[in-house]
Amino acid sequence: MTNTSSLRRLVLPVLVLVVAALSGLVLFTGGSSGAADTTTTAPVVVGDTVAQANAQALISPAPTHRAADATGSSSPKVAYQTSVPNAGTPNSSVRVYRNGTLAAYGNRDISYWSPNKALIPLGQALYQQNCASCHGNNADGVPANGTPGGFPNLRGLGPATIDFWIESGRMPAANPREVQAIRKSPRLTHTQALAVVAYVNSLSPATPYIPRVNRVASANTSDGFALFALNCAACHTITGGGDALANNTYAPSLRHIPATQVAEAIRTGPGNMPRFTGNLTDAQVRSIVGYVTINIQHPVNPGGFGLGGLGPVAEGFIALLLGVGVLALVGFWIGDRT
Amino acid sequence: MTTTASTPSSSSDAKKEAFGPVGKVLGELDDRLGIAKGGRSLMDKIFPDHWSFMLGEIALYSFVILLATGVFLTLFYVPSQALVVYHGSYAPLRGQHVTEAFASSVNLSFAVRCGMLMRQMHHWACDIFVGAIVIHMARVFFTGAFRKPRELNYTIGVILLILAIGNGFVGYSLPDDLVSGTGIRIAFSITESVPLVGSYLAFFLFGGNFPGTDIIPRFFVIHVLIIPLIILGLVSAHLFLLVRQKHTQFPGKGRTEKNVVGAPMIPVFAAKATGFLFIVLGVTALLGALAQINPIWLFGPYEASRISYAVQPDWYMGWLDGALRIWPAWQLTAFGHNIPLEVFLPAAVLPGVVFGICLAWPGIERAVTKDNATHNLLDFPRNRPRRTAAGAVMLSFLMMLFIASSTDVLANYFKISLNIVLWAMRILVILVPLLAYPITLRICKELQAVPEGGKRKKPNVVLRSAEGAYTTVPVETRPGDGHHELEAEPVPTFIDLDEDDSTDDTDEGVRRVDR
Amino acid sequence: MSSTHDEQRTPVAITTATAEDPHMQPLARNPERTERIIALMMVLGLAGFVGFGVAYWFNADPWVYGATIGAGAVLLGAGITAWGKYLMPKGPFVEERHDMAGTPEEREAFAAAVVQRGGGVLGRRKLLLGTAGAGLGVFGVVSLFPLIRSLGPLPGKTLTETDWKKGSYLVDQTGRPIKTSDIAVGGVVTVFPKGYQDTENGQAIDQTILIRLSTTDVTTRKGRENWSPAGYVAYSKLCTHLGCPVGLYEQQLQLLVCPCHQSMFNVADGGYPTFGPAPRPLPQLPLYVDGRGYLRARAGYDQPVGPGYWERS
Repeated sequence: MTNTSSLRRLVLPVLVLVVAALSGLVLFTGGSSGAADTTTTAPVVVGDTVAQANAQALISPAPTHRAADATGSSSPKVAYQTSVPNAGTPNSSVRVYRNGTLAAYGNRDISYWSPNKALIPLGQALYQQNCASCHGNNADGVPANGTPGGFPNLRGLGPATIDFWIESGRMPAANPREVQAIRKSPRLTHTQALAVVAYVNSLSPATPYIPRVNRVASANTSDGFALFALNCAACHTITGGGDALANNTYAPSLRHIPATQVAEAIRTGPGNMPRFTGNLTDAQVRSIVGYVTINIQHPVNPGGFGLGGLGPVAEGFIALLLGVGVLALVGFWIGDRT
Repeated sequence: MTTTASTPSSSSDAKKEAFGPVGKVLGELDDRLGIAKGGRSLMDKIFPDHWSFMLGEIALYSFVILLATGVFLTLFYVPSQALVVYHGSYAPLRGQHVTEAFASSVNLSFAVRCGMLMRQMHHWACDIFVGAIVIHMARVFFTGAFRKPRELNYTIGVILLILAIGNGFVGYSLPDDLVSGTGIRIAFSITESVPLVGSYLAFFLFGGNFPGTDIIPRFFVIHVLIIPLIILGLVSAHLFLLVRQKHTQFPGKGRTEKNVVGAPMIPVFAAKATGFLFIVLGVTALLGALAQINPIWLFGPYEASRISYAVQPDWYMGWLDGALRIWPAWQLTAFGHNIPLEVFLPAAVLPGVVFGICLAWPGIERAVTKDNATHNLLDFPRNRPRRTAAGAVMLSFLMMLFIASSTDVLANYFKISLNIVLWAMRILVILVPLLAYPITLRICKELQAVPEGGKRKKPNVVLRSAEGAYTTVPVETRPGDGHHELEAEPVPTFIDLDEDDSTDDTDEGVRRVDR
Repeated sequence: MSSTHDEQRTPVAITTATAEDPHMQPLARNPERTERIIALMMVLGLAGFVGFGVAYWFNADPWVYGATIGAGAVLLGAGITAWGKYLMPKGPFVEERHDMAGTPEEREAFAAAVVQRGGGVLGRRKLLLGTAGAGLGVFGVVSLFPLIRSLGPLPGKTLTETDWKKGSYLVDQTGRPIKTSDIAVGGVVTVFPKGYQDTENGQAIDQTILIRLSTTDVTTRKGRENWSPAGYVAYSKLCTHLGCPVGLYEQQLQLLVCPCHQSMFNVADGGYPTFGPAPRPLPQLPLYVDGRGYLRARAGYDQPVGPGYWERS
């Protein structure tokens, strides 16, 4: 027995001992901390912080105070009626008046504000350029060629509605004859959009005003998830990807939408979307907005590539093509070919 | 090592001495179990190794992975519909009242080391399992391996497919999330729709009206105990029959109805099989690591008043969902009773007919071809055009139903109206299989008609005469390019070890070698 | 050359092949090099498994576990397979299929035993055969009773009734009763009878979808003239196809679309289906407005809710 051969005989036992020792270490001390997941994603605030800054600049910073309903002053019409307080109408905890008209209202959860009247002349010019050809010179839906009912009447809808359609890029419509206007990059800048909002609202003042959801990052996403599942998932899907509906309509994807537009859509019910007024309080809307902007838009996917959130259809394709397909190809390598 | 030869069984001592300690152990085992003869022949057993025979192995190894990962999952999953408040690490669920089944599944995914991997491997392995069974069954069908004497094995295989699909459905319903819970609601309604006994069956299965609190624990027992036991038993029978009847093989050099050509069990087949097991395990693990499947925390718990859009079942149930979507709104109401045909026909009668045809196929083919002979050699699909075309019809029908289950996804992706997509699917489900039959028949006949069709083409040299006419001359075949080995050659039916005529190599078939 | 090729393709029996036989040689042209490559694959596989152990120790991200053990298993498996394919005897080998079936004499003897010993014995005592058979048969039937009947209650009237009664308040999932002034035109709420919103039956069976239409849009079906006060209509949320909650409302089209299989119900015209597989309209809940403005049910549903079944008349 030479030295090398006696050394060689030791290799296997030593290897077994090393593996056993390491395994024992892992099994009985558990490695590093606990078994909790370490992949909590930090929520990213997707909000229109720029818009908020702009909004602040436009409304003079008046201290919030309660004011009695100014009788005789021009209270805007409530476009989407509800008697429930704190549900997107002036019937809210806080109301701010300026020059006798209601400038803003709301509560800790959502503040609704209206663009400054100073923007109206700019808005009128922009309206004539961009909107009047379809919606008519008087924003009543009677276009230049005089056929009534061809396009929606924009009077009395409130700033939130107008702002939603313009800032989501749907208006001016790419194809006015299409069943549902598609979302695209907005043609007007934020200030220009607010100007048009101010002008159109001035023709027939109404609410709801443009919502600003406060402190979205700290919203109760648990409530938001429950409310989203009950009210929103039926059209937008539980992962917020959107899907086709009847007769060429569709529910859009929620994955790239700022907080304000989520709130606007909920409160005004654009197009075929139902509107949620008295059935969702501002606190509930804030929870939903929080869930959408935090969890829908930044889903936790610790299981790997999310496959687009398409569910079992995508999973089936991957299983059959990548799983069975690759393994069948491996079988092709292993086996004979004659 | 010395032994005394003083025992009466000196031959057994000689046995034990021959190969050292290993031989001693084998000898002891043989004394108790009688394994020497059978063991040797098992080791020498020949397995044909065409690549298409590996497809069933994918299914077998996926099943092994399902068992292993499944055991892990049962150690954490709580099969209870009692409501608890979720306090785990996923924030949007915190504080919500969810079933223990859901909470334990989410906790397994987030708070148990390797829990997510095990859950995802289990689900991917199930999808691959059913997929492998389907293509294995297709291989068996198109090559005629279901013929005598293998009809029983084929029947066991079809039953395994049904059980695998059923167990998959029951299994992915266990976490009680929004997507699979909707599937359970649909299952209740389908059970209800059976004429005469439907409501009784549904109430017995669910322990009352929907949802009740019994269905998840019952699904658990079905998924973990009842169906896996039956599958284990049937898989064992399937493999036993395969070993007893020996595998089929394609016709080729040296292959006849009376022999098997291939690789021996030990060592070649064992190595390839073990290696393939690890490859299947590895691919499943990679999928489980890199591709997310069934993210139940994104779906939330099942509540009966909630629903999500764009919800499809797992792929192997897709054909049923597609049938339910495109079926016209028929119902039968008479004499105070209602038969919901738009549910009963697509969800109960259709799978009965499909699986019935699958199970009856050996008998159908025997009746049509009047062929009751034993077949150990396989057919090339093109040589059986009508069978291949019939199989193509069935596969294309099921494929169209599967596509029909994603009508909303198709409408959304291609920006077509949902209503148009649905009507298109209603038409295509009939049209495509109808067209598949003559097209497949034609392709098979064309392949048969072309001499050496489907094989490697021989190159031609093109020559031009002085007048300008072109002629082609086939190139000399290189050694090894000849295709004559695909014709079966007769082989003697036994190999006589005592014959010492070993140098005659003009014998066709097996070469006998001197020892 | 071609005859050697022919020889190589001709199968031999493994029991009689010598070690020098070309069939016993490996397939690889350069076995040493192949062995080194395969060894490398195995070592990489081992490295993958060690990587898994390390990842486990350090509590790595979930994907790392699967990636290490998966890559390791693929490499190790490929190595073992390559060993079998390239380095082991390449064959092909042959063995005989011995007839499984017995000789004609054996088959006759077997058939004789079955018919004479088995059938003959049974045939002689027909009374015993009959009574034993009957006993076994009845045993088979009654032993199924616990497995089927004990599982659950009889359906009875459960499927035909909901908890909606005359005067039930419509409440949302938090229990708040709905007033006519609460919801705007084009709004939709899921409602339950008061007191049942937290119960299982309430959630699963009583669930109702309340929609506010403008009063001019409603087509009133005969007998339902006073069922929709102030433009409110209420339908059972259970789809009449397979029972999925019909939560998808398109307010301009005035369609309720079932998300499961895309049945479409016309909300303004008694919930009648206009497309898709659902055969029956959604049952409508008759409503009225009480003195304080709350919406209440005028009566329960006039028919069973949800999918069809045999006893549903």
